[in-house]
Amino acid sequence: MLALDLFVNGLIIGLFYALMAVGLTMIFGILKIVNFAHGEFYMIGAYTYTLVSLALGVPPWLALPAAAISGALLGWATERWLMRPLYEGYGSWGLMKDEYAVVVTFGLSLLLINLVDKIVGPYPMRGPSLSEVTRMSIGPFMISGQKLITAIVAIVLLVALALFLKRSLWGRQVQAVAQNRLGASIAGIDTARASSIVFMASGVLAALAGALLAPVINPSPDVGIFPAVKSYVIVVIGGMGSIPGSIVAALLLGVLESFGAVYLSYDYRDTFGLVLLILVLLLRPQGLFGERVREV
Amino acid sequence: MKHPFRFAAAAAAAAFALSGQAAEPIVVGVSIAQSPPGSVVQGTQVKDGIEIVTKMINDKGGVLGRELKMIYEDDQGIPEKGRAAAEKLITRDKVVAVTGGHQSSVCLAAIEVAHRYKTPYVNTNCWSDDVRKKGYPEVFNPGNYNTRVSSAMAETIAALKVKSVIAFAENTDYGIGQAKLLGEFLKKTAPEISYKYVALDRAGKDFTPAVLPLRASPPDLVVNVMLPPAAYILMNQIYEQGVAPSAKTYFYDGAGIADYPDFWQNVKEAGKYMLAFGLYHPKMPMPELGKQVADIYQKEHKTEPNRLIFQAADSVLLIADAIRQANSTDGAKMIEAMEKMTFSGTRGSFKFSQEPGYTYHQWVDIPYVTYQLTEIDQPLSQTTLIQVPGEPLHVDRIKKPSK
Repeated sequence: MLALDLFVNGLIIGLFYALMAVGLTMIFGILKIVNFAHGEFYMIGAYTYTLVSLALGVPPWLALPAAAISGALLGWATERWLMRPLYEGYGSWGLMKDEYAVVVTFGLSLLLINLVDKIVGPYPMRGPSLSEVTRMSIGPFMISGQKLITAIVAIVLLVALALFLKRSLWGRQVQAVAQNRLGASIAGIDTARASSIVFMASGVLAALAGALLAPVINPSPDVGIFPAVKSYVIVVIGGMGSIPGSIVAALLLGVLESFGAVYLSYDYRDTFGLVLLILVLLLRPQGLFGERVREV
Repeated sequence: MKHPFRFAAAAAAAAFALSGQAAEPIVVGVSIAQSPPGSVVQGTQVKDGIEIVTKMINDKGGVLGRELKMIYEDDQGIPEKGRAAAEKLITRDKVVAVTGGHQSSVCLAAIEVAHRYKTPYVNTNCWSDDVRKKGYPEVFNPGNYNTRVSSAMAETIAALKVKSVIAFAENTDYGIGQAKLLGEFLKKTAPEISYKYVALDRAGKDFTPAVLPLRASPPDLVVNVMLPPAAYILMNQIYEQGVAPSAKTYFYDGAGIADYPDFWQNVKEAGKYMLAFGLYHPKMPMPELGKQVADIYQKEHKTEPNRLIFQAADSVLLIADAIRQANSTDGAKMIEAMEKMTFSGTRGSFKFSQEPGYTYHQWVDIPYVTYQLTEIDQPLSQTTLIQVPGEPLHVDRIKKPSK
């Protein structure tokens, strides 16, 4: 019974991780950069949800779209004002793409953490729950209404994202840009818009993850660091740029941490992901779902 | 007189310089967490207590006719930053003493610096016994200590007649130290109780895997030895899994978090029926000075004070008294004065113990209470007192949820 409990808990945690990691891997897939401010997209979502609901008295279910909008706006602004130099040919900047992205996104991360710290305050602030049910039994499992809702919404969001990328015109354009930016551009696809869409989608996913978890993790300005670090590990394990890879790796990590914490040691819980990461890098450097790439 | 104006200007300048010298403030360093990952709630409370009493002292003419001035440093609850903060305060700001410490790992780093420069260090709220065991003559402890909490909790737990106890402790000097001590005291006072502790990451967000094994066979009592925000998350997850507080299992806080201003906002149902170890309760006997500080705090903040307000106030009062009795701001003389004095503060009168070990430079008989929260959003003054200083435990007053 404990094993089943741990498995279900691991899957739920894995779904939270997946929401975060998928946004990160999408950005890597299309721009080939790592967004170091991704955890702060999550933090902004958590705060928007909490503040809109608590300070303005908006019902939590309506505060959720507000969090999504904040994530979309942050994603759009980041792409429009900070990322465009990467692919709009600002002279030698293009040659230093990785360094530029690291510095800019890392700076953005620090800026957002400190802005929230100074404006809202450094205290943890529990977001309102989407469900009044603080605990419920589903068969042998015990879960809070909030966690159950979060898990369901996470699944819906991930399915919606998959459908958007596979079926919609914009989704197919995004895929084309991810495969070959120059080729997509020659074929008439607006690559800048595709990048913008990816950043906005990534912002929405991270912000919603933050909002959904706000009643569980009591957000404080540095709340994004923890999921961001997990996301980086997941993205590499799953294969950089691979969305299915990230989802599978996130679920795998959630379950592994859950079991490892009980059967090995809780003290080393955060190291299990890193051990898995090392094993993947040794045995399958491209990640579980990544493709081997040769560059000339 | 040939140059009357020049003479007058020189005289005025001299008078101004002299008056400036006379009014030169006595500078005290305060190192607290003002941003995460440290406990900012604690840091803010410490600052509030310090500000209240500093104003009170300065309104009465300061110390030795000089104003008392505080210089604050943000140590973020990180030991390296605490060490750097102490170094900066002592060497650059030339403070006469350092105080404010409220997280043991930080205190343990900062007292090394104070010891090196022979600067008095008044520990406001670092509970780890190791701070005392170092035996540094510069360090004085008017606040609480782990042995005191653990022995008090062991006494309560024994009186509850429980059979199995599990403690969740944060992986810090304070957390692990207190959890181990509780085990030692339980062995002495109630050897029949089975006890174990689990160390958790204080930066953690999901403690469910640590809680799940308890669902099948819940212990009779769960102890919290974690500080917020992790403590709040842990409490919610223990409650969510139906482990505690429940009809079978008590939840007992040993970290003194029940009187934090953000406690109820963060825990709600999980806090109802919680037993708490406390160092302050409005129904506790308190000196006039303490009541005065409590009134000022309540007027300024529109909420009840907690223990940290008084501990911080006493830290500053102690430094001020040491300067007065030494008639100097010299570190060695202040240390000598503190060792000899009987200090009367906001929480009572005491003399520092000279016994080596965990009682070194410690207020040994620091008063404490045990109480229970019986309603959500309950103010401290309305909680049920289970034990007051000098009186036996009233376990018959403890309530449990129906399921």
